[in-house]
Amino acid sequence: MNRQSVMSISTIRPVIAAFLISAGIASAYPEFQQHIVKSTGRTVNCAMCHTHSDGPEGAAPGQIGKLTQAELSELGRARACFNPGGKPNSPILNGFGNHIIDAIGKTRFLELKRDPASLSGLLPQESDLDHDGIPNAVELATGTHPLIKSDGRPWLLFKANVAQNWGQILLMLGATVFGLMGLKHLLTGFAIATHDEEEH
Amino acid sequence: MNLKELLNRSGTYLAERLPVEKMNYASMVKKKEVPVHRLSWGYYMGGLALFFFMVQIVTGLMLLFYYQPTVSEAHASVEYITEHVPAGGLVRNIHSWASSLMIASVLVHLLTCFAMKAYAKPRELTWVTGVLLLGITFALGFTGYLLPWHQIAVNATKIGLETIEKVGDYLPGAMSDWPRQIKEIIQGEASVGQATLSRFFALHVIILPLAIFGVLGFHLLSVQLHGMSKGIDENPRRQEKFFPTFFLKDLRVWGVAFMVLFVLGLCLPFESLFPYPLFEPFDPKGSTPDGIKPEWYFFWIYYPLELLPLWVILLGSAILGGVLLATPWIFKNTSRKTLRIIAIAAGVYLVVMTVWGDAIYHLLKGQ
Amino acid sequence: MIDLFLYIGLPYIAIIVAIIGCYRRAKYSKYSMTTRSSQFLEDKQLLWGSTPWHIGVIVVLLGHLIAFLLPQVWAAIVSVPWAVFVIETVGVAASILALAGLGTLIYRRVTSARIQAVTTTADLLVVALLFAQIVLGVLSATHFRYGASWSTGTVVPYLWSLLTLQPDMTYVTGFPMLFKLHLIGAWLFILLLPFTRLMHILAVPFQYIWRRPQIVIWNTARRRQQAVAATVAADSRREFLKGAVGVTGATGLLAIGVSNKALNYFKGAAADPEAESALLEKKLRRLELTAEERKYELERQRSSMILVAPYKDLDPLKGKYFIDYKMAPGLAFRGKDGLPVVISAKCTHLGCTVSSTLDENGRVMCPCHVSFFNIFTGQPEGGPAKDPLRKIDWALVDPTGKALITGVAGNKPEGTATPEELAACSLFITKPAPAAV
Repeated sequence: MNRQSVMSISTIRPVIAAFLISAGIASAYPEFQQHIVKSTGRTVNCAMCHTHSDGPEGAAPGQIGKLTQAELSELGRARACFNPGGKPNSPILNGFGNHIIDAIGKTRFLELKRDPASLSGLLPQESDLDHDGIPNAVELATGTHPLIKSDGRPWLLFKANVAQNWGQILLMLGATVFGLMGLKHLLTGFAIATHDEEEH
Repeated sequence: MNLKELLNRSGTYLAERLPVEKMNYASMVKKKEVPVHRLSWGYYMGGLALFFFMVQIVTGLMLLFYYQPTVSEAHASVEYITEHVPAGGLVRNIHSWASSLMIASVLVHLLTCFAMKAYAKPRELTWVTGVLLLGITFALGFTGYLLPWHQIAVNATKIGLETIEKVGDYLPGAMSDWPRQIKEIIQGEASVGQATLSRFFALHVIILPLAIFGVLGFHLLSVQLHGMSKGIDENPRRQEKFFPTFFLKDLRVWGVAFMVLFVLGLCLPFESLFPYPLFEPFDPKGSTPDGIKPEWYFFWIYYPLELLPLWVILLGSAILGGVLLATPWIFKNTSRKTLRIIAIAAGVYLVVMTVWGDAIYHLLKGQ
Repeated sequence: MIDLFLYIGLPYIAIIVAIIGCYRRAKYSKYSMTTRSSQFLEDKQLLWGSTPWHIGVIVVLLGHLIAFLLPQVWAAIVSVPWAVFVIETVGVAASILALAGLGTLIYRRVTSARIQAVTTTADLLVVALLFAQIVLGVLSATHFRYGASWSTGTVVPYLWSLLTLQPDMTYVTGFPMLFKLHLIGAWLFILLLPFTRLMHILAVPFQYIWRRPQIVIWNTARRRQQAVAATVAADSRREFLKGAVGVTGATGLLAIGVSNKALNYFKGAAADPEAESALLEKKLRRLELTAEERKYELERQRSSMILVAPYKDLDPLKGKYFIDYKMAPGLAFRGKDGLPVVISAKCTHLGCTVSSTLDENGRVMCPCHVSFFNIFTGQPEGGPAKDPLRKIDWALVDPTGKALITGVAGNKPEGTATPEELAACSLFITKPAPAAV
């Protein structure tokens, strides 16, 4: 099974390569990357969905050339997740990559290569893998990383965080106002006292 | 001029700049007054920079509890701070924000002081130490950028240091190798690696802060000794007492700055402003990410560097440095009106290059 | 029977007496509603006694009052664990402050001749009772912890039962003696209210808070001079006091909002076995990567040649990756003439690794920004890359360790070998000559 899937991939590869060359951009599934770069203007790389930022091919950690036997069998299983809910755990994909395949299935995903823009609409709208307050689907549409808490459209992140932390902010505002008031009176008192010394 | 006369004259010069008789509480705090006029807001900028510097010291020391300056641990330890240490993300984010805000306020401070002719006699040395502080602040920003040891930082540092090496092309004979040697002394080995990280770490947390403390001490002392400069040509409407009136206003500005910093630190990760979505650990065998840029406060020199031949930039920055250091003597007789126009022009340049530098670059390069 | 009197009879008697008594005193002898200030007679000890006493007792009384009047709000507050902790701490601290102040006041009252002259028996009774009452309160608070929390289910219902005229003392009869005494003491104070100086708490001089301090002096030139100084001192003292209140408030808010953050920052990450092991694993992987890196580096420093692959494994279309002497990836193909083609795989544009598959024009592609390179010349053919890929020195070595053919960048390969010999050979890269570094 495993051997078979690897072989089938290697036969597909020239086809992909030919496509890539004609599209003028390359990577594992570069249509999505290309779409994100074009629509958001952000220079995303393969690590949006893959383990390694240079994509799945090569011999670096997280690339196919470096996988162990156990990881290869996981890869084979993940590649057979044609329908949603397959719970893939592909070693060359990161949490978000696996999440996509789990959510819509490999078949649908491959179909979407022709229409990468609609991927974000098909993902679970509530799921937020990095808990930064912006759902994965929105992060995908805006070109920010769904697994990195500190990455997100600034304004969306700011809104989400303010909504979550307004209590802290109010408390700190109170402390600042109180502190400034206190310092004002302390310094005025000090000034009055020293002024008095001078007069007498 | 004989030696005695020379000593005498330099003694008088120093006595005017460092009036020892004024070094007491009464004249440095109690009697000091601050002019009130339409440019008075400029007087708060130095204090603001000082505030952000203090925030940097506190948050920097806190980060020091967890940061590990080795190539295999640095990135992991930074990640550990942001993700696992309670409030670690907040502390680190405040450190990032305050660094940018400190540099911004230092730059505004520079421009306002220039526009207000705050360097005029007897404040020449205050100005010169201020220029030194500006240099140290930029150096702190440059060294600090490397410490998280991620792809972008290391590659940006590499590119920054390579600029030094390129200077060699303009030097004759054996001297042409000197810049490369200087570069290797800075980075400690042939390419950016562990030695560089160790050196930048030492610079960032010990050497440069110590240098700042020394220079800043003198800077603040002379500010208190000479009082605020008049700032405008006509006589100010009125004076207000430095203590407590102005000092309290200063504190209020600090309070606002603190709140802004806190809200930003809590709610807006500094990294979200970068166009790169990923901060992976540096991998010497990996590819250089696309579109590497230095931090925003180097844009004003980075984009010209990309667009113009290096010698123009070298000449330009040498002139700029010289002019900055010698400002008190070069612009001795310039009117404040002219100074204001120069300062505004410089400010516009800084803003335009920082905000639209990328667009200008693409426009001129035709990409 | 005695309980019935103490917990139901006494409260009602006290309340009724207090209401009638206070009304009559307020109506018929308005100006007796005072503490008969003795600041005039002695003011130094008074400052250090009266101020802490009043601050402390007001804080404590307010705490009691809120719990009693707004039981739901109070219960909501004390349901937060750290809030109980804060309330208890503040309560005990305020009580101790009050005790210290009261102690000073008692000392002053019994030792100062001037004060003695105006002291009545009722004054002494009141201070003694107050002292006892607060000691009892502190003792109950420290003996039976978290009173702020449990009192909402015991004392408060009892008080409300009295107020709604359905007295129910089942809540209180089971109390420890310490607490019962504190409760009885409270009723005694209400009883005493109209007959002693205690009644001044019904005439709170709120306007004093924002009114400038008034100083009463004898009208002589010398005294007037002193009065100026005294006014300045009083002014600055007021400022200091307000300042202290502000700073204390700020510190308190900071303590609630930040101290747990700041303390936990230094305490470090919470022990979560799963997160910890994930972290350890990540660190271990990075260390392994560094170790591997170092191993490669060492190998490249020590040995003059490094194995790439056996000659028979080389392919004309599919390159073999290896790591060259500059610690960058390289690629090895078998050329058309049967000799190896060995070339750097680091794209000269931004340093990505180029792919290992040749296209029909003999080119490899860099996947990052689609630069193409001719592997035989190294030259870029399309794409953003401008510089050629670097050629790498190599050698074909037979099983005995003899280099049959060597290739140095820029030169023609030297040496010959028969196809049989070649098949047995392995491809090595050789260390570049020092000059070429």
